[in-house]
Amino acid sequence: MDIRHWKDLLARRLMFLLCVFVLSLLFCIAWGLYHKASPVLAAGSWQAILFSSDWHPSQGRFGLAGFITGTLWVTGLAVVVAVPLSLLTAIFLAEYCPVRLRDVIKPVMELLAGISPVVYGVWGVLVVVPLVRDHLMPFFSGRFPFFPFASDNYTGFSALAGGLVLAVMVTPFMISLMEEVMRGIPFGVRESSLALGATSWQTTKKVILKKAAPGIVAAVILGLSRAIGETMAVLMVAGCALQGFPRSIFDTTYPLPALIANTYGEMMSVPLYDAAIMLAALILLIITVVFNMAAWGILLHLERRET
Amino acid sequence: MDKRKVEEYIFKVLMLGAVLIVIGSLVFILATILVKGLPTLSWEMITKTPQGGYYMGKGGGILNALLGSLLLGIGATILAAAVALPIVFYLNLYLRRRSRFALAVRFFLDVLWGIPSVVYGAFGFTLMIFFGLQASLLAGMITVALLVLPIMARGMDEVLKMVTFELQEASLALGATRLETAGKVIFRQAFPGILTAVLMAFGRGMSDAAAVLFTAGFTDSLPYSLFKPVATLPLAVFFQLGTPFPEVQSRGYAAALILTAIVFSLSILARLITRGMNKHVIK
Amino acid sequence: MASEVSQNHIRVRDLSVRYGSTRVLNNISIDIPDKKITAIIGPSGCGKTTLLKSFNRLIDLQEGVSVSGQVFVDDEDIYDPKTEITHLRKRMGLLSQRPQVLPMSIYENVVYGLRVHGEKSKEKLNAAVERYLKEAHMWHEVKDRLHTSAAKLSIGQQQRLCLARGLAVGPEVILGDEPTSALDPISAEQIEQRFLALKDKYTIVLVTHILRQARRLADYVVFLYLGNLIEHGPAEEVLNNPRYAKTKAYLEGRFIEEPEIEKELDLIKLTFPESLKALEKVFKELKVGQVLRIVSGEKNLQGLIRSPLVAQHTVLEIKKRDALTSEVIMQKNEGGYSI
Repeated sequence: MDIRHWKDLLARRLMFLLCVFVLSLLFCIAWGLYHKASPVLAAGSWQAILFSSDWHPSQGRFGLAGFITGTLWVTGLAVVVAVPLSLLTAIFLAEYCPVRLRDVIKPVMELLAGISPVVYGVWGVLVVVPLVRDHLMPFFSGRFPFFPFASDNYTGFSALAGGLVLAVMVTPFMISLMEEVMRGIPFGVRESSLALGATSWQTTKKVILKKAAPGIVAAVILGLSRAIGETMAVLMVAGCALQGFPRSIFDTTYPLPALIANTYGEMMSVPLYDAAIMLAALILLIITVVFNMAAWGILLHLERRET
Repeated sequence: MDKRKVEEYIFKVLMLGAVLIVIGSLVFILATILVKGLPTLSWEMITKTPQGGYYMGKGGGILNALLGSLLLGIGATILAAAVALPIVFYLNLYLRRRSRFALAVRFFLDVLWGIPSVVYGAFGFTLMIFFGLQASLLAGMITVALLVLPIMARGMDEVLKMVTFELQEASLALGATRLETAGKVIFRQAFPGILTAVLMAFGRGMSDAAAVLFTAGFTDSLPYSLFKPVATLPLAVFFQLGTPFPEVQSRGYAAALILTAIVFSLSILARLITRGMNKHVIK
Repeated sequence: MASEVSQNHIRVRDLSVRYGSTRVLNNISIDIPDKKITAIIGPSGCGKTTLLKSFNRLIDLQEGVSVSGQVFVDDEDIYDPKTEITHLRKRMGLLSQRPQVLPMSIYENVVYGLRVHGEKSKEKLNAAVERYLKEAHMWHEVKDRLHTSAAKLSIGQQQRLCLARGLAVGPEVILGDEPTSALDPISAEQIEQRFLALKDKYTIVLVTHILRQARRLADYVVFLYLGNLIEHGPAEEVLNNPRYAKTKAYLEGRFIEEPEIEKELDLIKLTFPESLKALEKVFKELKVGQVLRIVSGEKNLQGLIRSPLVAQHTVLEIKKRDALTSEVIMQKNEGGYSI
């Protein structure tokens, strides 16, 4: 065998090893985090950590439940805002939009998706927080003094502000996924419905959305998991003071990623603190990986069915 | 009017509203950053490092963060590309189209893509401790490289999928090995797309803060060693905004403007490349 | 006969190819004559391209392909795992349906193969570019813009460039997979002219679905139908006096019918005289126009076909089942049978 084939063979082996590296990376991350988190798991039971909101690191109490529910609370708000917005825009882009307009909107969406999370945070502080403080909070909290509107937080830094910023952040991502799913549906499907005299909205509603439903669900899951892990923007607008379990959309909230980012300086000074933070990262990893696996599983399945 | 027509009309209005909100929010964000950042933006900001008391309103600039971010972004992008390129060539040239192994690799890349950057940051931190490093340019590069690897690889993968099978066949038929085909033919054909994926990953790497918070640290001096902490632009924005002084905050807005301008330029550059650099590319 | 056979560049022995569970080629055995143009004809999807690409092992790249049998190129079994594929492929130029120029300049396209195989001398490369572009009859068209992108050439020029590129690696064989199908008539004509000019130096194998092209170019014709080799021989014979019904139907543009088999006869275990007797008995029972399938061992086959008994009836098709057995499909003729 000559040198060319040796090179080819060597390259092949190396490439294979790199692929194996990718396959093992997830396990490495999980193991690394678990390894670092294990001291805190050894010190107390995992139930106590997961289901208690008693967070007093200096006294060795690391209940993460408040942060976990905080994450869900903010993410839930974001999804409530982002899903209808994304779905409507995606339908418009896939079914109604003239090609030339689409060629303008798509790049805009890409730009939107590329903006730094920190810049979203700046925008949140400058625009969304005042909006919540000066308009939304006085309006709702005054008129509907009950769950989930009642609050005595007049700063504007709140779960709602976090949710709104997150919604703007994940919308472009969800739109492009949903649109891709809808455009993947063969044109003949639309044609046969339209040929039966259905209006284009009926076609969209009864045929396209039905066929695209699993893909749309996957897109929502992916958007959701992205929102769960988003750190800096939320850290900047959500207030990040722990108040136990969420009671109002206008209260401050302290999601898991913000906790991790916020404690980078101090965590080495208190025993077990760093382990608790690594545990928080591990929890975040598990949640997002499970969501992603489910969603990509759905999307890959759809793709394979089409081909 | 027909009831179904009314329904269609309502939904059309809703759709247009949604589109306007989405596009409007981009315009809104840009306008806000421009209006708030532009007045404070000065030559000094991008040519000087922070002087003593910078975070209390004294003079200086954020050259440290600007250079740090560029260095860190470039390093991370090169590292990630060195892993991503071989992988996507392996997936598309060496493996068959329906290979289970290729499916698994793509699936894992997708899942890795979904892992939050703060988790990469935490993992980078554990790596750092494992290798006995302190927060440094190198640690930040490695962490960000891991973060952008899946984005870059999947971007390149989509580009290589588009390259026709026949082109590969034409080169193999002349007696070239797969490696030669990959390097001399497929790479050239896909080059604009590959470069786009690299630029997008670079933008993403530069604009992320959560991953470098633990691993790159922050410093007021210019980056001078791989093993010393380095300042980054997103963190510079974050820290300046965190101070109670309005003039420092507004410099944070200006820094945010610089960051956004860089990311946008990259995105536009990527677009121009896909249009302009296809001299030899076969359509 | 054996010595004559071994001189051929390409010899195919019992070649079967499957894609997953679909059989694409069944037990093909054929010798491709040297320094002639061989046309592989047949309806689409009959395995023409597969047969062609099995010669330089490009079918290896297909999904789920499995190959049995042998292809000898210059007495080397190319499906032997020890064969160097890149060296094999160097000996065969390929022209595909759509010209596939490489994403580089015209010059680089021509020397690509040479460079890959280690040629570095600038003079040699320059000489090769001129020589092979001339052989492809496009030197005068492009000599002033050798360093411009090949993608900018017209599609006909691209195909001739592909030809020059293929010739540059010094092959003995040129494989063409419907090389004119994407071209306009004038460009197609130019390519055909090239083939006629090159056939003294190269063994050329063409897949074509254009019968008139086969008539214009081919010295030798191979007719495939549904993965079976139905007929092959000198072009004159096959195209003008086909021996088998399916070839005839295809050449006349008729629908090719699978004959409805009325009766089967297994002669594998019988000796030659026993076979003849059995055959005679069966023909007596059949009505005129009915079809009989005979399965016979290879050693009796030639004798059976040449026997006066068989000669009275029409042989529709001879199919190889495997290396040792064949099927003969026959139709009883009007004249009936007498001895």
